Amino acid sequence: MAVSQRALEATGLPRLGRLARVREWWEQEHVFGYSLIVPALALLVGLVAYPFGMAIYFSLSDYWVGSPGEFVGLQNFRDIVGNEMFQQTVYNSFVFSIIAVVFKTVLGVWLAMLLFRDFRFKRLIRGAVLLPWVIPTALSVLAWGWMFDSLYSVVNWTAIHLGLINPPGPNWLGMTSYAMTAVIAVNVWRGLPFFAIIVLAGLVSIPREYYEAAEVDGAGSWGRFRNVTLPLLKPVLAVVILFSTIFTFSDFNIVQVLTRGGPVNTTHLFATLAYQIGLTGGNLGQGAAVSLFLFPMLAAIVFIQLRYIRRE
Amino acid sequence: MQGTSRRHFVRVASGATAGMATWLALGKAPALAQKRELTFLSWNHFVPASDDELRRQAEAFGKQAGVTVRVDTIAHLQLPSKRAAEAQAQSGHDMILTGGADPFLFEKQHAEVGDLIDELGKKFGGWYPFAREGSHTASGWKAVPWFWVSFPATYNMTHFRQAGLEPPKTWDELLRHGKILKKQGNPVGIAISHCADANSTFWSVLWCYGGKVLEADGRTVAIKSDQTERVIEWYKELYRDAMEPEVLSWDDASNNRCILAGKCSWIHNPISPYAAALAKSMPIADEINHHSSPAGPAGTHSAPPINGIGIWKFSKHVPLAKDFIRFLFQKENYDAWIAASNAFNHPPLKHLADHPIWAKNPKLAMLPKEAEYAHERGWPAKPNAAVQLVQVNYVLPDMVAKAVNGMPTKRAMDWGQEQVRLAVQGKLKEAGA
Repeated sequence: MAVSQRALEATGLPRLGRLARVREWWEQEHVFGYSLIVPALALLVGLVAYPFGMAIYFSLSDYWVGSPGEFVGLQNFRDIVGNEMFQQTVYNSFVFSIIAVVFKTVLGVWLAMLLFRDFRFKRLIRGAVLLPWVIPTALSVLAWGWMFDSLYSVVNWTAIHLGLINPPGPNWLGMTSYAMTAVIAVNVWRGLPFFAIIVLAGLVSIPREYYEAAEVDGAGSWGRFRNVTLPLLKPVLAVVILFSTIFTFSDFNIVQVLTRGGPVNTTHLFATLAYQIGLTGGNLGQGAAVSLFLFPMLAAIVFIQLRYIRRE
Repeated sequence: MQGTSRRHFVRVASGATAGMATWLALGKAPALAQKRELTFLSWNHFVPASDDELRRQAEAFGKQAGVTVRVDTIAHLQLPSKRAAEAQAQSGHDMILTGGADPFLFEKQHAEVGDLIDELGKKFGGWYPFAREGSHTASGWKAVPWFWVSFPATYNMTHFRQAGLEPPKTWDELLRHGKILKKQGNPVGIAISHCADANSTFWSVLWCYGGKVLEADGRTVAIKSDQTERVIEWYKELYRDAMEPEVLSWDDASNNRCILAGKCSWIHNPISPYAAALAKSMPIADEINHHSSPAGPAGTHSAPPINGIGIWKFSKHVPLAKDFIRFLFQKENYDAWIAASNAFNHPPLKHLADHPIWAKNPKLAMLPKEAEYAHERGWPAKPNAAVQLVQVNYVLPDMVAKAVNGMPTKRAMDWGQEQVRLAVQGKLKEAGA
């Protein structure tokens, strides 16, 4: 067993070697404590701070894949802001995110209320609801691609056979409004479980007594929802909406697999446009500038919502 | 108690961390794992047997040269980001598959291969013209053109027979035939969407009508012209009278599906639908045939995908990589590779194109000739960075899509002109000129 330096000195025995001194230094609380934080800090710096710094650096230079660039100030930002394709992308991103998040919130709360009830195979169904969230997006979106296919669309086939639409039915991924509807629908389908499960957890934590009290006061089911459930769910909802907004704004897979930004850039989002310009197009500077546009907007959303949550 | 003491844990963990750190810092594997290795990053070939043959040849070369040759293949859509990462990290594979503007975008990163080009050209009757257009930069040859993929017309013989029509020789004739075929329930299928085929066909039609996107200098925007206007008008009429709105949503596989389903009468595509029909013994294989890409007032031109092999400058095995490429181009090896690919890989060298695989099937016999009128995208300009942006941003199909959706032709052309101008305005590689 090792004996500490101080104990040795106290007994008047000869000093230990260098190794022991290093060990003693290492075991001091401020050294040891900080060295435990180092791995986490290294991960944060390496995987978050460094790429973010690089993105800022790229966006301020005319950096092309394969050839280092020079500092050009805000030129990239000026260029993309003036580009109709980018303006269209900004518009798309807001339409896509706002509609998708509203649908996910309303349907998510509704689904959570349904799952909260007692019914047969409750656990099984609660688990199954998570499937869209669990399946790799690239795979499930390929299946959606087939459902919206111009030739083999199962959506159109079903609707035509039910007599809801006239053949051949909408050209889902080829017409502007339909294509946007399609990508929003897939995003809602995928994001819904996340909403429902977290809201469900919020519902479970509401004490039954409140409902009983409300019932005694004569509140109907709508009254109970409005005056008990909703106010108590607010903090949970605020956090889910915050996360969902971030995920939705930065969505990539769904658009990339379904439409690649088409028709005529009407479904491009920041991430897909940045990928297209920066990586496949090779213009890293502009690509980084496009993706950085996301940052101030998301930062503002996070700021506002976090303030709201704290005030609650 | 005989558990692990905190002290012991810290000692072992810090030792292991230090060891890993040294390994990472030195940037190489421990001595026992080291062996001279040549590496090549390519895509997952559409005909997997082609990759099997490539790996077999790589192994044969490895035995002969006393090295290990590793061929890695990834999905073609992942290749651009992987390429960017390797260029940025200055490490990765020794060789990488190139296409389009890559030799120009990575001009400074790729080793010069002019000696190999001269040698192979002399040996096999010379390179087709597109080889120089796509790989020769201001600082020399930056890739060895490896193979191109023919992009002919694929048509359904039964549909044409029913309508009493012969396969079209020109784009104008296709428009006339298409109107009749659509009435018969068999529309023409040319994608006007965000996919590679949409780009390929637009370039062909534009060139055949005498149009261009950039002047030969690579920086003067030339898309606004009477020729382009004619092309857009042609597309509008074709879309309205010979096609269905589905083409606005197509990906690269949609036209294959359309002809294989027996719906489309005519598509512009590589021979993959026919190959798939044969492989799956689909009865429609008998009805499908090919003919040369149509001509226009300015002659016949086409934009087939062309791929090459680039050697990274950072590679420590540049001469060895050249030997490997030389080995792939030995006649018996290249022939075996064409056969493995089921006639999909076309050689960029004239004498290698004599392979009997095409001549013996009358449905494929005209394919090798397509090389004579093939160009790299951007022609008459080199495929520089601006051309790359026009390509990946789908400016050309989008210009057409706007017009077929009701935007006046001139306004759609103005939009295209503006997008090309924006693509040129950024820093252009010197080689773009």
